[in-house]
Amino acid sequence: MILPMLRLELYKIFRRPRTYISFGIITAIILVIQLAMLADGKSFIAFALQGMGEQFDIQGNILNGYLITYIILQSLLIHIPLLVALVGGDALAGEANAGTLRLLLTKPASRTRWVLVKFTATIIYSFAMLLWLAVVGLFCSLLMFGDGDMVNMKSDAFVILLKNDIMWRYFCAFAFAALAMAAVAALSILLSVFADNSIGPIIGTMGVIVVLTIFSNLGLPLFDTIKPYLLTTHMIGWKGFFDDPVPYTSIGWSAFALLMYIIGLLGITIFVFNRKDIKS
Amino acid sequence: MKPVRILVLLVLLCVSVTAQAQQLSADELFYKLRAKLETVKDYVADVRVKIDVSYMRVPPLTGKLYFKAPGKMKLERNGGISIMPKKTMNMAVSNVVPDGKVTIIDAGMETVNGKQLRAIKVVPSDDGSEIVLTKVWVDEALLLPIRTETTTRDNGTIKMELEYGKYLAQSLADKITFYMDVKDYKLPKGVTMDYDGATQPTKAAQAPDTKRKKGKIQIYYLNYKVNQGLSDEIFKDKDK
Repeated sequence: MILPMLRLELYKIFRRPRTYISFGIITAIILVIQLAMLADGKSFIAFALQGMGEQFDIQGNILNGYLITYIILQSLLIHIPLLVALVGGDALAGEANAGTLRLLLTKPASRTRWVLVKFTATIIYSFAMLLWLAVVGLFCSLLMFGDGDMVNMKSDAFVILLKNDIMWRYFCAFAFAALAMAAVAALSILLSVFADNSIGPIIGTMGVIVVLTIFSNLGLPLFDTIKPYLLTTHMIGWKGFFDDPVPYTSIGWSAFALLMYIIGLLGITIFVFNRKDIKS
Repeated sequence: MKPVRILVLLVLLCVSVTAQAQQLSADELFYKLRAKLETVKDYVADVRVKIDVSYMRVPPLTGKLYFKAPGKMKLERNGGISIMPKKTMNMAVSNVVPDGKVTIIDAGMETVNGKQLRAIKVVPSDDGSEIVLTKVWVDEALLLPIRTETTTRDNGTIKMELEYGKYLAQSLADKITFYMDVKDYKLPKGVTMDYDGATQPTKAAQAPDTKRKKGKIQIYYLNYKVNQGLSDEIFKDKDK
């Protein structure tokens, strides 16, 4: 029963042209960053290393594919959740807007099952997007810029990772990013249950992510108390894989927090959707 | 018994006077040491570099270290990234033993790691020199520097400890430990968007620390090829 429902949902997602706009946007952003780095990457690196440059000479292929991919992932921190929200926010609200939600619920499947199927379909879409990001971002960057040791510039540390010690970190980082995107998908589906058109949940999800990202990164002591509980604090856990040593405890805790967010948000969605009076 | 005692005393006195006469003056010792170090015009060595600087997380780096007198040095790592202290203060011993006209002060004998060493202070006469003062602890028997402490104009104090073994005959160290003052490193958190996990920054971590910190760099020399006539091309910066 679940598989045909999932197939139907995936068909609905992937037949819409706007689904492919997301892939196009990702490709465009990545290409722009790659071309910019190809043209002016050296001055970018010189600027980033100026703090160390007074005392140390750093030589070698710093501007390599691994660093470019890291910069791309960092740049897409806000954009990818937006693209996930495009589909997640449309999951239930889109049906309500099109007037097909009542029809959908006449089928012999519980509302809980529908929520889970729509969530699974959104996750599959998110994973496809991450896979595309990995292919275009990582492999094209490696082709264009070559490989080498990777420099990771943190606010208070300068980390060098040897080139034979990097690829597994990217696999883990993409797996973690998938978990983070699942949490965003759960949030957008929750907002979707309250709305009758998809614009509200999409913008709502974006608003929540932007505001929480600001809280997470502002560094004001005022936000220090709430920071460990914010979704966006844990969403960037993938970066932990590029530290040395890898903070496995923190990453594990962040993964657990994201899992709790997913379960919590989905639980609320199922609770609200089961009690909702469907009028359209 | 008395004449025998007098004879022994006389012999001891003679030996002491002869030893005193054989000990080099600080000037002689420094110039002999400098001449000996200058016999190494260039070398290529396979090295393992350990960097221990508070803000750097760098695994031990292996590569080829190229040196050409008077002050060219480069670490090459088969396409990998290499980090070395700035050229002005590179890690060649000859660089911390000032060249040109110098003023030498005898600082007497000092015990370093249980060994009696002769300490000499060297002040370059050139006012524009990056080196303000160098103190060198010399093993007189081997005529080798064991420790140096150099006060520089812009890069704080740099200490070097040298350990000799397989390459003693060529006056080349097996291991050099380099202690230097390092400036603090900070990038805005809004730019780097660091992942802190669930941990909250402590007040100590939040407070800006503008003081210089100590850094330690150890170079293990695995083998040397000396005076091969290295080309200057090797030391040219490649694209970053």
